[in-house]
Order: sequence, then structure tokens, then C-alpha cells
Amino acid sequence: MVIIGENIHVIAKDISQAIRERNAKVIQDLAIKQKEAGADYLDLNVGPVKKDTEETMKWLVECVQEVVDLPLSIDTMNPVAMEAGLKYCKKRPLLNSASGKTDSKQNMLPLAKKFNCDVVISVMTDKGMPPDLDSKVESILDTVAYANDLGIPNEDIWIDPIILPVSTAGEGQRIAVENLEFIKILQDVVPGVKSTVGLSNVSNGVPHHLRPLLNRTYLVMLERSGLYSAIADPLDSELMALMRGEMENIKQLIYKVMDKEEIDMSSLTQKEIEYVKTAKVLMGETLYSDAWLEI
Amino acid sequence: MEFKPPKESYTGNVREITFGKGENALKIGGENILPFHFFDEGVQPNPPRFALEVLDMVPEDWPDFLKEPYADVISDPVKWAKKCETYGADAICLTLLSTDPAEKDTPPDEAVSLVKRMIGEIKRPLIIYGSGDEKKDAEVLPRIAEACKGENLLLGPVQKENYEVVGRAILENGHVAIAQSPLDINLLKELNIKLCKFLPPERVVIDPLSSALGYGIEYSFSIMERVKQIGVITKDSMTMMPIIANLGAECWKTKQAKENENQGLLWEGVTAISLLLAGANLLVLRHPETLKLVKETLGGKKVWN
Repeated sequence: MVIIGENIHVIAKDISQAIRERNAKVIQDLAIKQKEAGADYLDLNVGPVKKDTEETMKWLVECVQEVVDLPLSIDTMNPVAMEAGLKYCKKRPLLNSASGKTDSKQNMLPLAKKFNCDVVISVMTDKGMPPDLDSKVESILDTVAYANDLGIPNEDIWIDPIILPVSTAGEGQRIAVENLEFIKILQDVVPGVKSTVGLSNVSNGVPHHLRPLLNRTYLVMLERSGLYSAIADPLDSELMALMRGEMENIKQLIYKVMDKEEIDMSSLTQKEIEYVKTAKVLMGETLYSDAWLEI
Repeated sequence: MEFKPPKESYTGNVREITFGKGENALKIGGENILPFHFFDEGVQPNPPRFALEVLDMVPEDWPDFLKEPYADVISDPVKWAKKCETYGADAICLTLLSTDPAEKDTPPDEAVSLVKRMIGEIKRPLIIYGSGDEKKDAEVLPRIAEACKGENLLLGPVQKENYEVVGRAILENGHVAIAQSPLDINLLKELNIKLCKFLPPERVVIDPLSSALGYGIEYSFSIMERVKQIGVITKDSMTMMPIIANLGAECWKTKQAKENENQGLLWEGVTAISLLLAGANLLVLRHPETLKLVKETLGGKKVWN
């Protein structure tokens, strides 16, 4: 699993402040920490960067590249900031992200061609989030064809099915299951493409201390379904251990839940039980509630 | 070739819950089919039940045609409740509106003595709703639970802010809890999980909030529907409880219901029928004519017992 380290993002106050004040140390420390933890890419989620766009992007990209040699994922919805960021990347970067929105097709996708970089394409369209599996497939076929016409090969495209919080009124659980299916059929639909997800969104709105458990379990499930990469927290050491294949018993238990096999809970450790319960929530087998581990 | 209609069978079973005492006690729930799926494998042993609502103070914002059936008793909640019995209510729902700090902030003592007086005078089982102010309810409801020990009242609303203190009083004094959550299936389940850590699930009724026609009934409908689906189809223990739909107040708040009598009756009636179809087991109504209307609509087909 290719891990794109998610920790440099402007939603965190200390990061947005560090960028504003050009405090390189905060950013660089986090970059080094993520690399040491095993990240393969570093995501630079900068938001819209409306002010001093060019100068800010140059500073940030160079600031990170000064201390780590990982490829970067430039994460912004602003095409001007995107171009500025891509321009200063030393290693082949990831454009994060384009989508099926007209605006994005016209302004983002050409940048991927111009800089000859990899590009994340999400299933979003002008109509918003496609409501079901078929319409997600339809959206992707359309946008990938558009990208191919621009000269971007499937191998450079990372498809993002868009992960939503599992805690939202039932729908979240349905979509969690649907996205597993989407990843599973992706290679048949668009051979050669890669895939990625914004993993942590699955646990958005969930009590803070319980979030990693959902993220880890879901990533194991997505990995088994064929996922290529994830924007995730490399500082979650258990997540990384799972991805290195160090917790085979936990993985096997999660697989059993996916396969709807009977599991004898009485023979399991507390930790194993928690993973099983979480997998059942993510498979839509038990209705989500914040107290899902307490029953 | 003979046509065989498909027949579903389910794994879950909504708990049957009894409230009230003796021969007038009321059973609700108990079904192991989706609402009104009499064509499937299983039973819905208890018909939907109906309570009429009584306030502990003279209502201030009721239209005249809603007050009219209670005109001679409206200043005395006990007489009002007796009148509801004559109108054929299966249960009486006493709403302690005056205890609300935003209303009269009536002290718990007054509420307790009213409930005790009512228990002595009426035959039908009693549903008690606090004002919904979670702090005040945490003072009033436990006092009522203690003073009426063993009466098996249906008592609430128990909310996430006060479930421990109200829930424990219900447990220790032999009543049934109304677990109320704000139109959210996930929060509903969470409250039930927390409550059932000390209260047997056989003593919990779900109130997911009942919005009126035109004012968000879709949300109430789909949450009730999901509670039943998840309970009956996937056998989720924490949603296999009967549902109370306290809809009268919500309906009679609307401009449309207040406009004229026929429209008001239909507003309450259509809301009631819709929520019955979604799976409500116990309905709280305000107008006795609505009660008649809904019972007539359900009647005809003798599918129960």
C-alpha cells in the first residue's frame, strides 16, 4: 500500500500558522516524522491559497524538499496554486485532485499533462456526488476518457471513489460497503488505473480516540479489495504495522467478517474483538453508533 | 403453473412491552414482521395503541376547535383525563408542560401530587412526559418515579443528557423508559446502548421524535422505518423496541392545523397513519375525533388476535 502522509494540512491550526509565518521548522519536523514512519508520498493540503499564491507554494514545496526526498502530492482546489506547487517539485508529483466537474476537467487535467505527473481523479461530477455504484462508474469512464484524450495514460491516473463518514445517518455505512465494491471492480472497468482514498474521512465525526480503529480496519478492507494507495496518517504506528503485514491475525479476522463467516468471539482478545466489531460496522452488518464497541 | 406469492421471514423480534397495571395494562410491540406485513411469515400480535394527551395547565395556543371537546374539563387535568377515557383512549398521556422553566417552572412537588391524584382516579395506563428540559426533567421525573413506585408508568423523555439519573429512577421504581433522541438513527442506538447497560431492554420504548406532515415527517418516517428494518431484518438488539410517536403536539403547532377544524383533524390523522405505516406502536394524539378517524381507518380488517 502506497501511503500518502496526510499530516501537513491547513485545517490544523499550527500548520496554517506555520505557513503564514514561514516557520519552516514546524513543517519540516512533520515531514521528517512522516518519512521516518514509512510514508511514500507527502500530501501538502494547502487549501485555496488565495493570497501570495505563487510565493507561498514555492516556499512550502522547497521547505519540505529541503529535508525529505519523497515525492509530493499537491492538494488544492485552486488551479493557480496547483500549477505553482507542481512547478517546484523535484520528484514526479501527484496532482490531488481533479474530478469529473467541467471546471476541473478544463483547468486541472491539462496541468497533469503539462507537468507529466500522476493525477488523482475523483468521482465527483457537476451534479455532485454520484448516488450509487453505477453512476460512480459512469463518472469515472467519462473523466478517464477525457483525460486519455488529453494524452494522460491510465497508468498515471489514481481514481478516488470519495470516502464519506460512516457515522452519518445510515447512508455512510451503505457508501462504505459500496466503495469496497467499487475498488474491487475498478481494474475491470478501467484497466491499468491506480486508486487512492482520503482514508480518515471515514471516521469524521466519530469520537476522537475511536477514529484510528475505524481507519485501520477500513484500510485493511480496502487493501484486500485492491486499493493501490491511501492518503492516511503514517504516524498511526498500528496502521503502518497492519500495512506491513505484521498483524496477520487481525487481518484474517477482518477478512472473515468481510466473508460473513461465523466468528467465535469468546476465543478472542479484547483487541481482536474491537476489530471484529468495527469491521461489522464497516460492512453495514451492525448499525453505527458512537458506542459500537460497548455492545 | 400455480402462482405462489413470495413470503418473507425475519430473524428479529420487537420486544413486547407492558405498561400500566392489572387488567388495564397495555401491551405494545412484540411483532416479528415489518409493520403491517401480515402476508409475511410471522405476527404482529398487538394492534397499534392510542393515547390522548392531557396537559398539566390550560393550553394557551390551542385553537378553539381543539379545546372544544375538553371545554368543561380543561382547567382540571384529572377530569380532562377521565374525559379522554370516555373518548376511547387506550392510554392517557400527561405532559408536564408547566414544569418547563420557560413556562411556569412548576416545582416537582406539584407534578408529583398531580400524577398521584391522576393514578387514583383513572383506569387507563399512564404515559408521563416531562417538559423536555433535560435539567428540569432530571429533577421532576425521578421524583415521580419514586412517588409512584410499582405503577409501571411509561416515563420520559430520557435523553442523552439525563439518562443516568432518570434511567436509574425508572429501574429502581419499576417503570418503563421513553428513550428520546433527536431524529438520528445512530444517536438513537447509542442512547439505547448506554441505557441498557443498567436498564433491561424490555423496559425501553423508543421515541425518535415525530415531526408533523409538512414539517419534516419524512425524517421521522424513515427513522422509524429503519428502526424496524434493522430490528426485524438484521436482529439488532438495540433497535428491537417498540416505538412511541408523540405527534399531537407537533401537528397542532402547525399553521395548517390551526387554520380550520377539518384541516386540523386531517393533519393529525394523516401524520398518524403515516407513522403507523412506518412502524409506530403507540401514538399520542390530541383530538378525540382524530382518534376516531384513525381507528376507523385501521378498522374493518380484523387482523389482530
